Amino acid sequence: MPDLPSSRANWADDEEFDDPSVLPPQQVVNNPDGTKTVITYRFNDNGKKVKTTRKIRTTIVKEHVNPRVAERKEWAKFGAEKGHSRGPDLSTTSVGENIIFRPSTNWKSTSKEDNAEENKLKDQLKDKKVACRICKGDHFTARCPFKDTLPPLDDGAGAIGGSGGGSYVAPHLRGKKGAGESMPGSGGSYRDRDDLATLRVTNVSELAEEGDLRDMFERFGRVTRVFLAKDRDTGRAKGFAFISYVDRSDAARACERMDGYGFRHLILRVEFAKRS
Amino acid sequence: MRPILLQGHERSLTQIKYNKDGDLLFSTAKDHVVCVWYSVNGERVGTYNGHVGALWTVDIDPTTTLLATGSADNTIRLWDVQTGKQLKKWEFPTAVKRVEFSEDGTLLLAVTEQRMGYLGTVVVFPITVDVEAEQADDPNFTITFRESKATVAAWSYLNKYIITGHEDGRVSQYDGKTGEFSRDAQAHELDMPITDIQMAPDRTYFITCSKDKTAKILDVNELKVLKTYVTDTPLNTAALTPKKDFVILGGGQEARDVTTTSQRQGKFEARFYHKIFEDEIGRVKGHFGPLNTIAVHPQGAGYASGGEDGYVRVHHFDRPYFDFAYEVEKMKG
Repeated sequence: MPDLPSSRANWADDEEFDDPSVLPPQQVVNNPDGTKTVITYRFNDNGKKVKTTRKIRTTIVKEHVNPRVAERKEWAKFGAEKGHSRGPDLSTTSVGENIIFRPSTNWKSTSKEDNAEENKLKDQLKDKKVACRICKGDHFTARCPFKDTLPPLDDGAGAIGGSGGGSYVAPHLRGKKGAGESMPGSGGSYRDRDDLATLRVTNVSELAEEGDLRDMFERFGRVTRVFLAKDRDTGRAKGFAFISYVDRSDAARACERMDGYGFRHLILRVEFAKRS
Repeated sequence: MRPILLQGHERSLTQIKYNKDGDLLFSTAKDHVVCVWYSVNGERVGTYNGHVGALWTVDIDPTTTLLATGSADNTIRLWDVQTGKQLKKWEFPTAVKRVEFSEDGTLLLAVTEQRMGYLGTVVVFPITVDVEAEQADDPNFTITFRESKATVAAWSYLNKYIITGHEDGRVSQYDGKTGEFSRDAQAHELDMPITDIQMAPDRTYFITCSKDKTAKILDVNELKVLKTYVTDTPLNTAALTPKKDFVILGGGQEARDVTTTSQRQGKFEARFYHKIFEDEIGRVKGHFGPLNTIAVHPQGAGYASGGEDGYVRVHHFDRPYFDFAYEVEKMKG
């Protein structure tokens, strides 16, 4: 490195480098570890001077090539490639993503790990049985033959009294001795919510939003819930909605007033929701 | 393993071939151009322009001097590999579905389509392996198929037989000198067309694959089924790997049904089976259409696959591929 101080300009001198169109010459420094450091200067697109420092290690790899192959390597390009320079053209050649290919005899079992997550979910659901909330039969609650005659069982409450934890307990049941006592008419409240003060609104415009409905129906009393059925794919309304009121009398008034109300070029039909 | 993607074609690939030294890769597609690439880096060397129909097939003579292509414009053309110049054109009444040079490059067989009242045939031309030479106009002989047309054909060792694969799943053997029929075998399920036939390096046995979702290895002399590889998808192509005892199978759902299902269900993967044990040992993903053609590097260094998606993917095998062996193989030493 004896030439280093002389060839590399002092940074202070750089400042006084008046003529911006002249670039300092390229510097090559041989490092003691066998690598080379090359410092070059150039102007970038904005006209600014850019200094590039590259450290290069040269390794010589000897390769024996079939002479026929070597000769073909020198062929001039022809056809659509005529006149193109040597080297792969990015418009026709690109490098794909790295593929991990490990042949193995139990290939089928290892490949399953790829979609392990999917399988996990499947396994979870495999043991899951549909249980009716009313009669505990293996059907959906909505399909229960007793749904009109029996209130739903609350098995969460039973679990608290019996095993004393382990299974999920709804927040409003925590810290109580037994939910059965706290909710004497559990069936009753269930019915209250769904049945008594809920209106079913049909012939709703596809462009309706829940907010629009809430604004319209809140005029008649406190609304606890607005549910507007939407298409999962398009996100547009399906044409019906449920509005729950706190008070049944409000609901009745709203039903009377809003039935036949014109909303977005369509005439709303409002009625009390039937249990189904 | 990082594949090189070749995007020289605008339509689905029909056949790809390595030359004998494995440094060049030739590809044909349903667009009208043949491309040649350096297999090592995927650089396109050139194109052979002149065909006016979809190209079905390509083959290269063992000395990498002449290139033969068969096309739906009812011609076989012979090209100078180095310059891309067309040397010869043979015309036929119907499309040419398969061409193959014999082991020594002195004969060229071609499978022509059965269409418009013409029966399917295999024709054999004498070839002079020289760019300057005048090639013969007339074939040595023609094999005509009255029952089921041939879809693929290949030369056996020493040009002794021509092996043809048929639309009805049969494999037949014809004399390589005279074209006389000698025997046949119902290798694949009845009325399931054979889609590919590729000879082993020594040409004593070959692999066929069919739409019946199986690939089979048969011996050339007796047409006896030696191995069967069962998959879950119709196969378009099958190849044998030198150096390692594997076979590579490619296929996937029919191209016309692809839009109706997801990529996952399409099964567009190259499947590796062990040649001896017939077990599936791995798959390579990548294409987003069925695989139409697979070619293996003659020295076993890699393979290339061409798909209905218009891409050629060139793979160079890495360490785990060469290291893999069954326990019994390891014991052998």
